[in-house]
Amino acid sequence: MSDMQALYETRRVRIEKTIALEPVDRVPTAYMGMAFAPRYMGMSIADFCEVPENRTEVTLAAMDKLGADVWDGINALPCGRIVPSLTDLWLSHIAAPGRELPEDSLWQVQEAEVMKPEDYDVILDKGWRAFLQGYYPRVIDMDELKESRAWVRNNVKHVQRRCREHGYVPISFGGTSIPFEYLCGGRSMARFYIDLYRNKDKVKEVMDVMMPHMIRDGIHAAEVSGIPAVWVGGWRSASSLIAPKIWDEMVFPYFIELTHALADQGIVSVLHFDQDWTRDLERFKELPAKMCLLNADGMTDLRKVKEILGNHMAIMGDVPSSLLSSGTPENVSNYVRDLIRDVGPTGLILCPGCDAPINAKPENMEAMVAASREFGRTE
Amino acid sequence: MILGQLAKALADLEEDQVLEIVRTELEGGTEPLGILQACQQGMIEVGERFERKEYFVSDLMMSGEIFKQVGLVLEPHLKSSTRISGGAVVIGTVQGDIHDIGKDIVVNMLKSADLNVSDLGVDVPPDQFVDALKETNASVLCMSGLLTLAFDSMKETISQIEDAGLRDKVRIMVGGGPVNGLVCEVVGADDWGADAQAAVRLAKTWLEAGASA
Repeated sequence: MSDMQALYETRRVRIEKTIALEPVDRVPTAYMGMAFAPRYMGMSIADFCEVPENRTEVTLAAMDKLGADVWDGINALPCGRIVPSLTDLWLSHIAAPGRELPEDSLWQVQEAEVMKPEDYDVILDKGWRAFLQGYYPRVIDMDELKESRAWVRNNVKHVQRRCREHGYVPISFGGTSIPFEYLCGGRSMARFYIDLYRNKDKVKEVMDVMMPHMIRDGIHAAEVSGIPAVWVGGWRSASSLIAPKIWDEMVFPYFIELTHALADQGIVSVLHFDQDWTRDLERFKELPAKMCLLNADGMTDLRKVKEILGNHMAIMGDVPSSLLSSGTPENVSNYVRDLIRDVGPTGLILCPGCDAPINAKPENMEAMVAASREFGRTE
Repeated sequence: MILGQLAKALADLEEDQVLEIVRTELEGGTEPLGILQACQQGMIEVGERFERKEYFVSDLMMSGEIFKQVGLVLEPHLKSSTRISGGAVVIGTVQGDIHDIGKDIVVNMLKSADLNVSDLGVDVPPDQFVDALKETNASVLCMSGLLTLAFDSMKETISQIEDAGLRDKVRIMVGGGPVNGLVCEVVGADDWGADAQAAVRLAKTWLEAGASA
């Protein structure tokens, strides 16, 4: 085994143990920062988005430049073009740099009511997959979508190999979520939230039709890559946004079903949960123990997570994006120090909250890396 | 009494009941302004429940939708001269950012508080904010942004407001997902709103202080 292979294996085991809440020699550190990497490495965002190889190589190069000795892994395998992947998740048109937006600007979801109320009936009548085939052309060019998916299928092993050559462990591959998030993306947040009050029973019926597909997507991703962890997103279904009577019925039961179905196949759910979920942390005990990784964005109270779920699930997070873009290196360093002291060392993977933003100051990212070196060691 | 029921029905997000009472009262000859004020009372209760963490963002959006429906029914019956505005506010999502959900919630709540709101939409360049402040004479500006990229636009907008000689005539708040006290300080705003209700409370406080000054 080469030195790099040995290092990769050490890091893989370190991450695995952390997720299993076992003690480790140092707090593992993971990179998260899709748009930061090209900006940091001097590539336009359009080039980063258009050429899939660029996403892989520039991300790995940015990690190397920031501190190859520190990163144990990356939150998700940097594989494939971002815009088609996001379209799949949001069911919305994504405004792309170099197309609708200037070359070097960030891609953005175009919030619009693309899915109409009558589409609920189409899903009930024809099923989720059949509906999607008719729906996708409203938000993306079908040839582009097919081409993008084919590239991912054909290159997933190659990208994993590239990560391994750099010594970085991809913590997850592929994404899925609960029906709520897909419908919310397609209908638009404003319209979907109103649907939840006006038309709850029908929406629930639709969700029940969709759910087996969300589970299958997660299992399929793990099968394709061989990586036993899948990104499970939650953003507009967050506790801070949704009334409890709706959340209890339309959100959390689906997360329970999804995570248990994945865990039954030996797949860890990387709960990429944006926004604040603190209100409902007690309920998280219903998710499979040591088979979830709570990937928070700086808004959920991680001290409460540690207190309530410390023996149940590990945490990945959560240096806030606003701190990385507007704070000072000292702010960042102090944040990391306090986070490791209060939430770690066991059961914590240190990383930026949500994603290091495009305008994160390089010196702040470097400060995060340096703080990991300084405060992350447990032995 | 029935207007008290109307306020309660709106606060409880009972859409059908609200619209039924509004129509019945209109047909019965109740003054439209009184009906509107009852609904505003309901919206105040919604805001207070949100502050007490009994209500969440989805409830705010539903209350805004009900209030909008009430507005559609009442509008033809309301004479503009009978409306007393609590003050003028300019609001928009800053340049480079197209997110409008948080901003729209704030707009709905400001309107339900009977403020005269100029909503500039999303991706608003600094000079448009400056022009709107000049045109409306608004003394409150709300800038929204969900991306961290928005911070630079907020800063630039405030800089152009200064250059236009308006900074001492307008109080500026910022808000949106990643905005916090640090961001407020860095961009040079006067304050920030952690949520929609905080933004409305801040705007009303500033306008009342301005009015009494």
